[in-house]
Amino acid sequence: MTDRFLTVGKSLHRKDAWDKTTGKALYTADIPIENLRIGMIVRSPHHYARILDIDKKQSLEIPGVLAVLTSDDIPGDKVFGPLIPDQPSLARDVVRHLGEPVVLIIAETKRAAQEAANQIQVSYEPLGAVFDPVQAAREDAPQLHQDGNVITALNIKDGDIEKGFQDADYILEDTYTLPRIHPGYMEPETSLAVWGEDQTITVWVSSQHPFTDQRFIAAALDLPVENVRVKSGVIGGAFGGKEDSSISILAALGAWSIKGAVRLVNTRRESFVAHPKRHPAQIHYKLGAMSDGTFTALKAVVHMDTGAYASYGPAVAAILTETLAGAYRIPNVQVESFVVYTNSPLSGAMRGFGSPQSHFAVESMVDSMAEEISMDPVQIRRANILKVGEKMFTGVTLNETANALPICLDKAQEIMDRFRAVEVSPGKKAGVGMALAAQSMGLGANVPDDSTHRLEWAPDGKVLIHLGAPDLGQGLAMAVEQITAEALGLPYSQVESLPLDTLDRPNGNVTCASRMTYMAGNALIDASEKLIQDLLAHAGEILEVPAKMLVYKEGQIIKEDGTKLPVVEFLGRLAEKSITLTSESTFSFPYPEETTPQGLPIGMPHVLYCFGAQVARVEVDPDLGTVEVTHFAAIHDVGKVISQSGVEGQIEGGVATGLGYALYETMLRKDDQWVDSFTEYLLPTSKDLPTHYESIILEIPEASGPYGAKGIGEIPLVPTAPAVANAVKNAVGVRVKKLPITPERVLGFID
Amino acid sequence: MKTITVSFLLNGKKASVTSLPNRTLLDVLREDLGLTGAKDACGGEGECGACTVIMNGNPVNSCMIFIGQIEGTQITTIEGLMEKGEFHRLQKSFVEAGAVQCGFCTPGAILTAKTLLDNNPHPTDHEIREGLSGNLCRCTGYNKMIDAIHLAEQGGLDD
Amino acid sequence: MQEFNYHRPVTITELKEQISIPGARILAGGTDIVPRMRQGKFSAPTLVDTSGVKAMRFIEDQGSEIVLGALTTHQEAADSPLLQNINPALVTAAESIGCQQTRCRGTLGGNIANASPAADTLPPLLIFDATLLLQSLEGERRIPLEEFLLGPGQTDLLEGEFIHSISFKPMIGSWGAVFIKVGKRSGMAISVVNTAVAVEMNDKGKISDIRIALGSVAPTVIRCRKIEQALLGKEPEPALMKEIHKACQEEISPITDIRSTAEYRDHAAEVIIHRALESAVEQAKERGR
Repeated sequence: MTDRFLTVGKSLHRKDAWDKTTGKALYTADIPIENLRIGMIVRSPHHYARILDIDKKQSLEIPGVLAVLTSDDIPGDKVFGPLIPDQPSLARDVVRHLGEPVVLIIAETKRAAQEAANQIQVSYEPLGAVFDPVQAAREDAPQLHQDGNVITALNIKDGDIEKGFQDADYILEDTYTLPRIHPGYMEPETSLAVWGEDQTITVWVSSQHPFTDQRFIAAALDLPVENVRVKSGVIGGAFGGKEDSSISILAALGAWSIKGAVRLVNTRRESFVAHPKRHPAQIHYKLGAMSDGTFTALKAVVHMDTGAYASYGPAVAAILTETLAGAYRIPNVQVESFVVYTNSPLSGAMRGFGSPQSHFAVESMVDSMAEEISMDPVQIRRANILKVGEKMFTGVTLNETANALPICLDKAQEIMDRFRAVEVSPGKKAGVGMALAAQSMGLGANVPDDSTHRLEWAPDGKVLIHLGAPDLGQGLAMAVEQITAEALGLPYSQVESLPLDTLDRPNGNVTCASRMTYMAGNALIDASEKLIQDLLAHAGEILEVPAKMLVYKEGQIIKEDGTKLPVVEFLGRLAEKSITLTSESTFSFPYPEETTPQGLPIGMPHVLYCFGAQVARVEVDPDLGTVEVTHFAAIHDVGKVISQSGVEGQIEGGVATGLGYALYETMLRKDDQWVDSFTEYLLPTSKDLPTHYESIILEIPEASGPYGAKGIGEIPLVPTAPAVANAVKNAVGVRVKKLPITPERVLGFID
Repeated sequence: MKTITVSFLLNGKKASVTSLPNRTLLDVLREDLGLTGAKDACGGEGECGACTVIMNGNPVNSCMIFIGQIEGTQITTIEGLMEKGEFHRLQKSFVEAGAVQCGFCTPGAILTAKTLLDNNPHPTDHEIREGLSGNLCRCTGYNKMIDAIHLAEQGGLDD
Repeated sequence: MQEFNYHRPVTITELKEQISIPGARILAGGTDIVPRMRQGKFSAPTLVDTSGVKAMRFIEDQGSEIVLGALTTHQEAADSPLLQNINPALVTAAESIGCQQTRCRGTLGGNIANASPAADTLPPLLIFDATLLLQSLEGERRIPLEEFLLGPGQTDLLEGEFIHSISFKPMIGSWGAVFIKVGKRSGMAISVVNTAVAVEMNDKGKISDIRIALGSVAPTVIRCRKIEQALLGKEPEPALMKEIHKACQEEISPITDIRSTAEYRDHAAEVIIHRALESAVEQAKERGR
């Protein structure tokens, strides 16, 4: 490995960007298909109800209607679920949330489908619904599933919690409340399924986990997995919300039922009520500290509302729990976390996956403690941040990555001083606040996590990456192209990532958990080395010399006498003999025995962490309570920048999402309906984001990462909300403990 | 409900469509004309700008325009931005500046940016933020779009 | 999407004929109607598309009155130098609506007919005592905007009628007119509460004329005559906040809804009236020089 990188670290053009600027890029709703039929879902109008009867007769009589399907029509598995198979593809006996799919209509036109949807007769017996997870956890609450409402009850301890609080000079307790928010990808959920010959089906998906979709579709249709081919359309954003197979299963069911082609596109309203959200949570947090600021104890009780179905609830609880102590050394800890069913729309994976929730609590509380002790907020953090070789309360030992922490604080301090010196606008009150962040990478211990990818060296010299995991729009393809180009010493233009197709693709696993550049990158570096060895072996045969007498460098084979021969010559010769040069490699997320504690529930702990910090300057209108973030800085350690513009883009976009969480976004229930449109659910527009913005990117190499890279996908929105809350406190003396920080909350009109 | 026929200029060429009048310009572009660059991201409520096209020099949400209303107008879609096989300077600058991630909002944002620069060749950051405020993006945080527009404004882009 | 018969008049004569079809409704910019039709909240058997009626898009100084064609877009209003001079509150309001895409489609007439209690262009028109010219095949009538607004989404528009134009008299002397709105975000902001305040100062430094309109505090946008009474003849000074507060208590009754609470709206209304008043007085002093 050289010190000077040829490709890694640069800002290059994404190859898929051109088609996106011309309208040529084909998202799943754009793909032209002959004889395409329309799918439409009839959804539950009730939060919780028994289904008494479904009468399809009138719907089936409408001209142009081809099929009207209920749960009874599903030939295979009627329920699915990534962790717990509790989610019916179409509701059966009971509906558990407003908007739950009940009937699937397939028709020749939108008009016919709408007419059939209007005519379908479903009779319900409404039942008493429950929306609060604390209430739903009680014995006397309506039991929404067979085994009760509490699906996860974690109780993680370290040290001696009683003693920890006894040792404390100061103890603070507070409850932090996090709202339900929508991942907000611009492309609503879509799937296109085409029935083929011999009991096969091809399904286009906008999905983070095409191989999982393949499995679930096969199970639902009672087909062998090999008969289901899943292809990835261009994906218009995912952010965790597209780790749900409901729409691809239903599109496939539709295509199977008519033995034809069906496209299902969710409207934005359907996306709001029926697709996974971020888990709302109530976090009761009690922190003890000594008078010099040293933390002694943390006791927390967490209630997470996972809605009607489990989705990724237990896994989110794991990360929420593990990150409740933030990046700090707290010797005595007890965290009880409950994941509870309610009749709300389901919550599942969303960027950050528990960490944004936990950090709102810990980073707000740390500032509150600093104020209580009369300590500077950066100083109190300095006194408690974990060092290399120290353990988190879960027993995970931190590696060199912890060196980022003091640097983050140094930078934060400098930025806070600068932001504090900015002149205050007339009539406003200004404040500066910061927050530190720890985000885990990976799926957690004892969860199988293998990622396989393949390389192919085409006869024209181009290296094709058969990427086994989808690019969600974040630039995964570009990052792995840069890594592969680097590993092979080739120009970036000569390496190309192919769109995902399960037919001929190795399983790269789900793109999530801030880990795919890391996993795929490592696999592809290994695959590159194998490819080179393979090439040298073939070259040796062709040149009739021992392979070890040849050297490969930057697209050329170099003979012992110094002659350089371009690789294409050899590839051409191999092609004549119908030999394609390929290599495959699997990278498994490392859980080294020496440093991975055992004895925790499955999926815990996570052992590799990224760190960062953010600083916000706000101006608050003291009479109206409106909060404007005028200046913002994000400090993140990425190990090694693979794509400069890619990393910047992830950070900037993540910060924007974090500011939405902090100030604008919440899915409320009004008049017994859920907020389900962008009119009332407010995403930040270009006018709502800071005009002064800085990114500081640190590179503290991660030894196990490709060229030292770590993940960046999630952490940029983790410290954002507490940084803003801390700034608001600094500005007007109000501690807002419930998101979003609205003017009504700042002025105390609502809690 | 009777169909209507509308005549208009589409990407510089004379065009005519016949449609039921209760279909929007977005429906017709995507379903009848195969122009899928304009997207539906908010359910046709005019809240996201992903369906933006240019109508008589103004950016408009095509999801909120019934097809009859485009009679006699000049419509430019993202597919019509390239000229003689050359990328428009905004298409180049969006790519160059790293302003394209998932790309779903990109066609709408580029068309809005074009009208902005056509009317105001040297906009301030504030004017750009104001101009783009009807185009929602969840991926980029808008910073690189602002960079892209400034880059296009300077006009000096390497091919 | 709802089905409808579609007409596209080009002249006002054609418009009068087509709007007199039973159940016919005007389609102007479509920024309110099209989404509401899609959601099933609006339907009409016949839609009369006015986008071709150029004769109703104008902003004219007719000497004693300013007349605005009902099909003037919000962007056209925002860009009008004449309006900036005569009713700067209306310009501020028009600029603040939605975004570029909706501003170049939404019309003044459409916004009035939609009669949202939160509408932004209505307060600046109310403070100028705007009147509407309504036309139909039978003839025409004038009605003050204040009397035209009957409730949320309800107006005095009769079957077969349409809004032709809006007119108001300019203020003279040392006057100022200011619009302020409070939204939940800066971009594409729907008002949580909004106000327009116009003031005229006499040469003794006292308020000789005051008009205050508030949105989102009642079933329609309203003129706040009690607050006006409380401030008329007074000198603008901080103590006026008390008068505003007292009068607001009697005059406005905001509700709690998905966007905000009654208490916050009560509080914010007072704040923005006071700020708009201060700003209008400053404007008046400038004009007085």
